[in-house]
Amino acid sequence: MNYFPDEVIEHIFDFISSHKDRNSISLVSKSWHKIERCSRKRVFIGNCYAINPERLIERFPSLRSLTLKGKPHFADFNLVPHEWGGFVHPWIVALAKARVGLQELRLKRMVVSDESLELLSRSFASFKSLVLVSCEGFTTDGLASVAANCRHLRELDLQENEIEDHRGQWLNCFPESSTALTSLNFSCLKGETNLAALERLVARSPNLESLKVNRAVPLDALTRLMSCAPQLVDLGVGSYENEPDQESFMKLMAAIKKCTELRSLSGFSEVAPLCLSAFYPICQNLTSLNLSYAAEIQGNHLIRFIQFCKRLQRLWILDSIGDKGLEVGASTCKELQELRVFPSDLHDEEDNDTAVTEIGLVAISAGCPKLHSILYFCKQMTNAALITVAKNCPNFIRFRLCILEPNKPDHTTSQSLDEGFGAIVQACKGLRRLSVSGLLTDKVFLYIGMYAEQLEMLSIAFAGDTDKGMLYVLNGCKKMRKLEIRDSPFGNAALLADVDKYRTMRSLWMSSCEVTLGGCKRLARNAPWLNVEIINENENNDLMERNEEDEREKVDRLYLYRTVVGARKDAPPCVTIL
Amino acid sequence: MEKGGVEHEITELRLGLPGRDVTEKIVKKRGFTEMIMTSSGSNSDESGVVSGGDVEKINESPAAKSEVVGWPPVCSYRRKNNCKEAWTTKVGLGYVKVSMDGVPYLRKIDLGSSQDYDDLAFALDKLFGVRGIGVALKNGDNCEYVTIYEDKDGDWMLAGDVPWGMFIESCKRLRIMKRSDATGFGLQPRGVDE
Repeated sequence: MNYFPDEVIEHIFDFISSHKDRNSISLVSKSWHKIERCSRKRVFIGNCYAINPERLIERFPSLRSLTLKGKPHFADFNLVPHEWGGFVHPWIVALAKARVGLQELRLKRMVVSDESLELLSRSFASFKSLVLVSCEGFTTDGLASVAANCRHLRELDLQENEIEDHRGQWLNCFPESSTALTSLNFSCLKGETNLAALERLVARSPNLESLKVNRAVPLDALTRLMSCAPQLVDLGVGSYENEPDQESFMKLMAAIKKCTELRSLSGFSEVAPLCLSAFYPICQNLTSLNLSYAAEIQGNHLIRFIQFCKRLQRLWILDSIGDKGLEVGASTCKELQELRVFPSDLHDEEDNDTAVTEIGLVAISAGCPKLHSILYFCKQMTNAALITVAKNCPNFIRFRLCILEPNKPDHTTSQSLDEGFGAIVQACKGLRRLSVSGLLTDKVFLYIGMYAEQLEMLSIAFAGDTDKGMLYVLNGCKKMRKLEIRDSPFGNAALLADVDKYRTMRSLWMSSCEVTLGGCKRLARNAPWLNVEIINENENNDLMERNEEDEREKVDRLYLYRTVVGARKDAPPCVTIL
Repeated sequence: MEKGGVEHEITELRLGLPGRDVTEKIVKKRGFTEMIMTSSGSNSDESGVVSGGDVEKINESPAAKSEVVGWPPVCSYRRKNNCKEAWTTKVGLGYVKVSMDGVPYLRKIDLGSSQDYDDLAFALDKLFGVRGIGVALKNGDNCEYVTIYEDKDGDWMLAGDVPWGMFIESCKRLRIMKRSDATGFGLQPRGVDE
């Protein structure tokens, strides 16, 4: 390889797209490092505070596509204060200033402002794709600037963001000359939509493959949209709580039948059963189905629908489908790879006997040999079931089980679920992500440390007995990148045992555990390459000035992460960086 | 924690969290569970007092579960858009869920579009296609149905007692029960002596 001219090596590198592989290449030699970094087009930054934009641009001048993640995962569950951080603005400012030819920007859990979107839209002439996931801080005015100014926009994908809807005419802002759209997702917008503008936009976008509308798009509009875009592959529908009349139903069904390329269906924040049945004709083509927002739909209608979906690979559903429904899924959906079952009753208000249990989980594991990812919310579980699941499905990559009641034991034996989860990690040698729940002792962590060799992300809640539990994990899981723990009795001994471990990890989150301020301070002193953040929403936040006694005070929330750029300057008052 | 029969029903229709001043709720409103407790025949003594014993049972209130922040780990976007969750935060904004015993689908009704209890009665009748619900609201005692509502504090109250304005501000959801089923809870039909 050393005798090839640089251009040839660069050409070879072009075939290597995985971030991990490209990172490895850059470590081989100085010349490879240089060739790699100058030709690198796509960069993924898992923690926006691990590096700063200036250094990024310096290293990768040919950057075209950037992915940035901001807030820690537990921000999804309101455990991180709103003002914590994760602002994209400095990144856009720096990229614009350096005249980077940015084409794609993908953000997750970041704070985005209208000002940022406006700057973005004016600074990158070839900008093609904007994907925002779980972001907040902007309004439809920001979307209007993107629509108006990004001449070559192909993809605008807004997933689960908090967007202030000014009910303006942002859809109107796409110029008539804009015909390149391939993907448009505005399902998270809450306000009314300019239907005429939407229909015109869809009509002039022959390459549109993915369209996800919001709740406010009524049935007749949906019918018209589908009629002028029969090439759609991915469709997200609105909210249809009322049964359609005969004529509307027939028109809808006719439009649906024409969409022979349709493979993915979502939306349905409310859907009357008859409406759902209009989609029966294309069920057999579906590979992805998300009915997890349709809280009102009864299990039997869900079951009828799924019976037609023989090619399904991905299914997101509510627990109202019941064990019976999962048994039907197990016998119908032989291609199933990913299943997510969400809880419909979040406050445990209803005495609901129809929600899923361990029976459904076992059924799906027995029937679907290709299953590799599961997220399962349920009220009860047994070791026997988990052991059976492990035997049936040794190919799990992601296994997330959430038993709704914290500390709940095996409901038939009253024992902890250590053995069940132990069986999972022992059998699933490729397991990369695991969430545990129910009654668990240190033993489960012994098993995890022993067997989960590929584990990269672990979520722990209300589990374990002593520091040993956390130590088993830190010592055993060599590939651990993200560890997040809440309400578990792990303290300073575990936190401080092996400081260098955190060099190999992206981040550690601990909330409502036993770590103290003193312990965190000691860690920060021993690991200057870490940002050790204490999040405390009480009034007196001057933690650095506390006297010795307060060193024993327990820390409410700890978030630490490796970084090459030191303490960030944009932390709010409730965050102290030690 | 085992929950048996009637005790379970009581904890569902709980009076409220322990430690609260129970007496302040008694004025003008008849708590549904109060009606369970009062003996048959007593003609709506509006200051019926609930015995301390009942409050003790309710100490096992499941409300404690839902007080754990961020649990279950469902992301906040999904919580807000899950219909059931969304409704519970929409107090006073008009739409409430209505369930009727024996009917498989939950319905929704816009309280904001009714002017008073009569309007509501009519709307409920129409919603379920059943006559008699409305009568329950107006007459209270001599009809087939009992209309109860869950208020902001999570307590179940008999609909029709408080002024309309107060009602729509605090009503979170409605439930229509057959009076005969309510008897299973210990509720005695009023107007019957002895």
